[in-house]
Amino acid sequence: MSFELREVALVYPSRAGAVRALDGVTLAIAGGERVALLGPSGAGKSSLLKLFNATARPTAGAIRFEGRRLAALAGSDLRAVRRRIGTVFQQPSLVPSLTALQNALCGHLGSWSLARSLRALLAAAPSDTRVALAALKTVGLLDKAAARADELSGGQQQRVAIARVLVQDPEVVLTDEPFASLDPGLTAQLADLLLHVAQGRTLIAALHDVELALAHFPRIVGLRGGRVAFDAKAAEVSPQMLRELYAHEARGAVG
Amino acid sequence: MKRALLVGAIAAALVVCAIGAQVQTSPLFDPANLRAVGAFVRGLFPPDLSPAFLPVVARATLRTLGVAVAGTVLSMALGLPLGILGTASLWRRGPLLEGERHSLGRAALAAASLVARGLSRFLRAVPELVWALFFVVGFGLGPLPGTLALAVSYAGVLGRVYADLFEAVPPGPIVALHASGATRLQAFAAGIWPQAAGSVAAYSLYSFECCVRSAAVLGFVGAGGIGAEINLSMRLFEYGQVTTLLAALVLLVLGADAFSRALRGRFQRNAVHGSGLLRDALELRSARRGLGLVWLALLLFAFQQAGFVGIAAAGLWPHLGRFAAQLFPPDLSPAFLATLVTPLWQTVAISVVGTAIGIALGSVLALPATSTLLVADPDRRRGLPARALRVAIHGAARASLAVLRSIPELVWVLLCILAVGLGPFAGALALGLHTAGVLGKLYAETLEEVPPAPVEELRAIGAGALQRLLWGMWPQARETLASYTLLRWETNLRVSTVVGLVGGGGLGLALYNDVQLAFYDRAATLVLLIYLLVAATDALADRLRRRPTARGIALAPESALALIAESGSAAAP
Repeated sequence: MSFELREVALVYPSRAGAVRALDGVTLAIAGGERVALLGPSGAGKSSLLKLFNATARPTAGAIRFEGRRLAALAGSDLRAVRRRIGTVFQQPSLVPSLTALQNALCGHLGSWSLARSLRALLAAAPSDTRVALAALKTVGLLDKAAARADELSGGQQQRVAIARVLVQDPEVVLTDEPFASLDPGLTAQLADLLLHVAQGRTLIAALHDVELALAHFPRIVGLRGGRVAFDAKAAEVSPQMLRELYAHEARGAVG
Repeated sequence: MKRALLVGAIAAALVVCAIGAQVQTSPLFDPANLRAVGAFVRGLFPPDLSPAFLPVVARATLRTLGVAVAGTVLSMALGLPLGILGTASLWRRGPLLEGERHSLGRAALAAASLVARGLSRFLRAVPELVWALFFVVGFGLGPLPGTLALAVSYAGVLGRVYADLFEAVPPGPIVALHASGATRLQAFAAGIWPQAAGSVAAYSLYSFECCVRSAAVLGFVGAGGIGAEINLSMRLFEYGQVTTLLAALVLLVLGADAFSRALRGRFQRNAVHGSGLLRDALELRSARRGLGLVWLALLLFAFQQAGFVGIAAAGLWPHLGRFAAQLFPPDLSPAFLATLVTPLWQTVAISVVGTAIGIALGSVLALPATSTLLVADPDRRRGLPARALRVAIHGAARASLAVLRSIPELVWVLLCILAVGLGPFAGALALGLHTAGVLGKLYAETLEEVPPAPVEELRAIGAGALQRLLWGMWPQARETLASYTLLRWETNLRVSTVVGLVGGGGLGLALYNDVQLAFYDRAATLVLLIYLLVAATDALADRLRRRPTARGIALAPESALALIAESGSAAAP
């Protein structure tokens, strides 16, 4: 499992003209790595993650997963790749009218056939349910399995999203500032949980907590204005590099 | 398991209703019937555009429009007093009455208010086609009975809508006026009307749109206009004329919608600024006196088209009196009532089977019509042929829904009679086809408007389009879908009481026969029965909607109105 990006650009059309979210990004991530993406808001971290989980296609350049160009995939090939990549979003959007258990079961969707997904909506197979319940237990929400997602607190929803990744059992875990909307006490707990869940998998995390990144991620990629500002071992990241990364006067790009 | 029981009960009910509606597959594949349908479809093209026929179409269209305009104006004139009298906050409860002594006069007014509300309910519960059938007997063939039917039926709708609007007005100004000694009518004129006028105008225009759709089908029972011509051309096997007439009908409906939407937008903008109709009317009077005269002339023309010319003809009024007298007393003999059990049951069965067909066919068409599932799905293959195919399927699904929806139920009944013969199955099938068009469009729009974020997360997990539908869109949409479907069933029950008037079975057939044979006392009983049936359905649907488990089932009034507009038959918003 490996990601390779060569001269990748991502441009969003917008009313005020095109917005260049990423520009000339060249990057390689090998299997089993732990990489933190740092950078000010709008640096392109979220856009980069969308390229990694194949929900966006680069405007220019190429992103390859195990040597295959993601942009060339469609249909079942695309599903097969996405199944191996799990994402925890900044503000998880669970399906509000489904229970926590059902939302966790959604992690199976990439590997289920259509018939099996239909049957599971009525009554999931015991083996599938066991996996989902075990995941809810890992994130400490077993007692909320039957609660509707829209009855859970923000932190609980975030845990269900992590449980869904556990059910999905992907080789790569992507997280997009997953703690941005939580209070500090919860952040520490959830960070531990996420690191635990990501054991044995490649982890790529967009973070705004620099200390957390330096403490747990051996490799740091700094993004600024849609470009790679630095790509270094955590031990080599200097205060000067961070100051320059976060300095005001963000130039242009949004994302 | 509870769910298994529920599914079993629903399936059993459907089977029972299918038996009641005489659902059979054999007539669908009967070679003679297939030939008749084939001849019809072939006959539709080319449309008849001959110089001899086009004037007929133009006259019929103008007549239908005249009936709709005159019917709307009369229904407003009747509905306004019903609405004012039916407003609970004026006569029955609320701050206006709190300080008053109990007196005989006050009790009488409260009672009159309740009567006005009940009368509104009765007028709108009886379908306008039934009213038209009666007025045709009373006044003779022609546009006049159609106009009166619309006037009466929509007076019931507007009476209720107006009363609701008047009650929804913030009470502050009324209380202040009342405290300074204003009478109730003064409080209404100065405190309620200025606040409600904009909405009153908007809803009246809205009911005009519905009236246009209704006016087109009233001709099926002899009330003139496009419906009468379609009926005639069908019976003469002149299917090319049917195409032309249907095209005229669709254009008329679209034109009326556009006209009313434009005006409504203006009234609603004014309503926001607090003055509404009043200021518009004043503007019209002072600055545009000339234009006002044009409107007046158009209105007079509409009434002329609607048959209000020979209304003083000798013999009409005595005839009407005799007819009305024959309605009373309604025939309530047990022997007659016993004969009504079968048609009553057929009517309910037609509405259930028709709705079920509509759900099934509508769902099948709704999926390709949902753009987020097909054309706007970025995961699909991007080659030009594949994309063109998707766009074509999407367009075909949307177009099919539009065709199914824009052909009124009663026209579908005539077509279905060709396919399966006379009887309740034809009625159920016709109801199902029209309902498929209405529900399919609503389903597609509901699915498209589901919050996208949860669905996008499922996409990132690797869920395919149909999996996202099952696990992401359906759970978010199901309550809205259920409430649309329930509302549609209510409408269909109303319609299923009249499909029999053109050969679709049920109570309508019994009513038609009794009117033809001049058993007016029996016809009166049937109208009462239809009223009770519709009222009971409304009550049942209200209870289903209020169930605490039906989370979020409450429908935005605008969407409910949209649904009614689609139906072309009057229903209380």
